Amino acid sequence: MRREPGTTLLRMLALAGLAASAALIANALAPPARRLAWLGAVLPPPTALVPSLLPNPPAPPAPAPEPEKPKALPSPPPGLRTPASPPVMPPAPTASGPIREVNGAEAWKAFQSGVPFLDARRSAEYAEGHVAGAFCTPVWESDLEDRLIGFKATRRPGPDDPIVIYCSGGDCKDSHLLADRLLKEGYFHLLIYRDGFPDWVARKHPIEKGQP
Amino acid sequence: MRPRFQHWLLHPKVTLAARLILGLVFIAAALPKMADPPAFAKAIWAYELFPAWSLHPLALGLPWLELICGLALCLGFWLRAAALWIGALLISFCLALAINLARHHPVDCGCFGASAPKTKAEQLTDMRWLILRDVGLLLLVVQVLLASTSRGIPRVDQTPESRK
Repeated sequence: MRREPGTTLLRMLALAGLAASAALIANALAPPARRLAWLGAVLPPPTALVPSLLPNPPAPPAPAPEPEKPKALPSPPPGLRTPASPPVMPPAPTASGPIREVNGAEAWKAFQSGVPFLDARRSAEYAEGHVAGAFCTPVWESDLEDRLIGFKATRRPGPDDPIVIYCSGGDCKDSHLLADRLLKEGYFHLLIYRDGFPDWVARKHPIEKGQP
Repeated sequence: MRPRFQHWLLHPKVTLAARLILGLVFIAAALPKMADPPAFAKAIWAYELFPAWSLHPLALGLPWLELICGLALCLGFWLRAAALWIGALLISFCLALAINLARHHPVDCGCFGASAPKTKAEQLTDMRWLILRDVGLLLLVVQVLLASTSRGIPRVDQTPESRK
């Protein structure tokens, strides 16, 4: 009953081939949220994200100078509570770098000023709840490119216009990954909402539910 | 004493149990990853061990390899090939965990899909237990390989009596 080693090797190759074929078929049939491009993932390692992209320490930003009239206030969604203070301009780009982290208060100011929000979490998480008016741009899903095109067509952001990006806070690096990608596309005023959606909910800021 | 131990170690029922445990564990591990390849790609990325170009092929192919090898072990076909693959995978998992443990880089295992958020200390503790678990599974692989080397392996529906 002893088999030749070559037989086992051939069978191992056959098992791998079977797995690869099944993966090809399953991926082709999967919905966009569950699909991956076989090639083309160009991601920096997790530890390379924060030091290289966030050269400024997470210190509170300098207060913005005398705020001018916001250029584009979003129409408040139904149920949005009226802010007690007048809208403030979003955190200004600093000399420290094109990407920096912001806290919940700064993110709220940016929201009031009409700065677009990008949700980098999975689309299923987005559907369960997201910042009101945020765009669904799940960085790990295969249709990210199409969603970013949709965002650019809708908001037409310029290279220096601020964009707030968030995910789940904590150890979540999805917002940093998306910022890295947008930086490569030529956007130089990217604000990463450090504490992400859980903080937004805790602060009782407006949220929405449902698919994009 | 030694022949008795060998007899016990290579007993068909022990082999059958080892195959079923290994097979079911790998089937259970494969299903959530197959259901959500992007989440598995993210888990692999967090290990910081693989080049970016390999993340998606690994996330797509690995769960299917686990499933097929798990089925082969449960159903009793191509046992040596399946056990060798599973052994190779377990060694890889152990190495990936050990390297990250050595550099104090906590990672979510991703073994059975996404898990609940944990603190870094909890993750590091989990990683130690996971290495132990994988070593235990590796011992089962060794048993299956030894048994398949010494004689034919019984199928699930075979008992030692029916093989005589």
